[in-house]
Amino acid sequence: MSTEEKQEPEFIQFRYPRQVTYHHALGYQSKFANGLKQGRILATKCPVDGRCTIPPRIVCPFHHVRQTEWVDQGQRGRLISAFKINFPMFNSRTGELQNWENPIIAVELEGGARMDGWCAEMDPEKLKTGMLMEAVWRPEEERQGRADDILYWKPVEE
Amino acid sequence: MTQNLPEIPDTPVNVDVIAHSNFLVSTGATGTKFLTELRDNKKIMGIKCPSCGKIYVPPRLHCPTCFVRMSEWVDLSGKGTLSSYTIVRYQEPYMPKEPPFAYGVIQMDGADTGLAHMLGEVDLDKIKIGMRLEPVFKEEREGSILDIDYFKPSS
Amino acid sequence: MAERIAIVGVGQTHHKSKRPDVTTAELCAEAVERCLEDAGMQMKDIDHLVMGSFEVADGYYSPDKWIIPELGVVGKSGLEMQNVGTTGGVVAAASFNSAATGLFDAVLCLAWQKMDEAAGAFGRGGGGANEYWTGQFPMSPITNFARRTYAYMDRSGCTEEHIAIVRVKQDQCAMKNEYAQLRLGLTVEKVMQDVLLAWPIRRLHMCPTTAGAAACIVCPEEKAKKVTNKPVWVEDWLTCHQGGALTMAEDPTASTLRYACNVVYKRCGITNPLKEIQAWEVYEPASPAELRWIEEVGICEDYTAWKLFEQNKVGIDKEVPFNPSGGVTATNPIGATPVVRLVEAVLQVRGDAGEHQIQGKIERALATGYGGQGENVIMLLRKSL
Repeated sequence: MSTEEKQEPEFIQFRYPRQVTYHHALGYQSKFANGLKQGRILATKCPVDGRCTIPPRIVCPFHHVRQTEWVDQGQRGRLISAFKINFPMFNSRTGELQNWENPIIAVELEGGARMDGWCAEMDPEKLKTGMLMEAVWRPEEERQGRADDILYWKPVEE
Repeated sequence: MTQNLPEIPDTPVNVDVIAHSNFLVSTGATGTKFLTELRDNKKIMGIKCPSCGKIYVPPRLHCPTCFVRMSEWVDLSGKGTLSSYTIVRYQEPYMPKEPPFAYGVIQMDGADTGLAHMLGEVDLDKIKIGMRLEPVFKEEREGSILDIDYFKPSS
Repeated sequence: MAERIAIVGVGQTHHKSKRPDVTTAELCAEAVERCLEDAGMQMKDIDHLVMGSFEVADGYYSPDKWIIPELGVVGKSGLEMQNVGTTGGVVAAASFNSAATGLFDAVLCLAWQKMDEAAGAFGRGGGGANEYWTGQFPMSPITNFARRTYAYMDRSGCTEEHIAIVRVKQDQCAMKNEYAQLRLGLTVEKVMQDVLLAWPIRRLHMCPTTAGAAACIVCPEEKAKKVTNKPVWVEDWLTCHQGGALTMAEDPTASTLRYACNVVYKRCGITNPLKEIQAWEVYEPASPAELRWIEEVGICEDYTAWKLFEQNKVGIDKEVPFNPSGGVTATNPIGATPVVRLVEAVLQVRGDAGEHQIQGKIERALATGYGGQGENVIMLLRKSL
């Protein structure tokens, strides 16, 4: 009787670790990024139905017409949805894997456009759709025209 | 060109996004056998198609001409003839050797295909197509095509 | 004038989370071997290959260079393409388009994904990194579904328990499908106690990572009738992608699935989908998605699908035979998955689905592919011409 242990078959596999930095040109959206640097949230407005979109677009995806009008969306919006992640994901600004403590939310701004952002209220149970939220900005010298120039949205009393 | 809100400039903005990847590549059962023979026995093996009789190195599971599975392993001497080459003189990340180095296709004795690999122990300006070559293995091997350090001119 | 086309053979691998015993190319060859055997054809009978996978996730560009020699299709014509989750769907649509031209006798449609090799594919700030804005948030299919599900539950009265019931039904179907990856014997309690990834999404709600491939052969009418006596006709198909931002996902009127179904139903004269389509293989990347899709394909009103599960009306032998294979929640080799849906739908029409076969005559089956940003490809199959 054989006393050898049954061996798992060996399969050779290799890893290829790579790090790449992508430099994305924002093009038409540069005005939006420059707006963020100045602490303002801009959106393009469709001349046909008045819908404002973030991120801004040269052409309205529904009506196929050029959108040349920019509208300041204000600093407040109402909560549409929220989630909080319990697993680490990469931070595109630093390239590092990190835990994300703040919930991520979508808000509908005063001007009608919707956007994503982080939320100052850490407990998702306390978030209700329709809540009024206000933008809290990163210090001006740190803004780069990135999504996290708005550090987070905080609930405001109505 | 946008017209309104002129206090917010249109100056082009670029955003950097840093991406990491750590891909894993499987060599499969066939690839594993080829690589373990390199690692454990310093032996280069080929595989033979039961339908057309072609011998492939590096070995693969299916014959590209016949689409049948191959399982007949063939010992090769490891010697071969240089069928083409180039001298790599530029530097890029993740290269196997420091440039300048010679890299070419070696038509293997006893097989119908060539093996791509680097050349060593030879003056770069004395390399000739048609040279007879043999493999030099590394002392420390891990089951990789680079367990063959390079091919050198054989006597 | 376009040719009428049929699927004459299908094949898929037994889907697993890891396949270290094969290379990506060998995995594809496995699916193709099974497909050729099912059709009773040989590689020499194929004259056009359409292939694709979600390349970023596998870590290769131009994998055709590697796979083509493995398949022995050197010298045949072909196309390669991808589009995230709908990759298999656009590959299938392009296969149908190619076959419908009448230029080819037999088109081989192949899609694959080897996710044990993917690493940090979603490390680019998330799977939603299709432009700089979304790439800056830690977005991924998990978070996309978390936000949609939150909005759905908030508006409909659906609770976490209902979502767990959906997951259990999916698992019960998968237990009857030998090709499915996750066959777990789940209970509602087990699902509700599982690790929370992003409220309300738990680990068990999400599709797994899978190594798998699927293939089918599409022929124009005359050839199809010669090859097999059980051709499955492709009645109609449509690809529909969504522009705009992720925030549009909360809006059910912006649904690409609903749009695509409405166009196809109108073209094919379908007015009562549940009655006129007898088998459904609709790509649901997470359990809650199944609720939305049942509504969006027109089986019931918006925000009411959870009641069908409460009333135990969804399952292989129930009123709503949705995803009898166990669906994507049980098996998700991303790029291949829409072709897996197609393969499963073909098996249903042919009566070859074994333990998870829907009973009764399957005259029509709908298979779909879905991409994380709201892309959809729908494929309508028919038993008789």
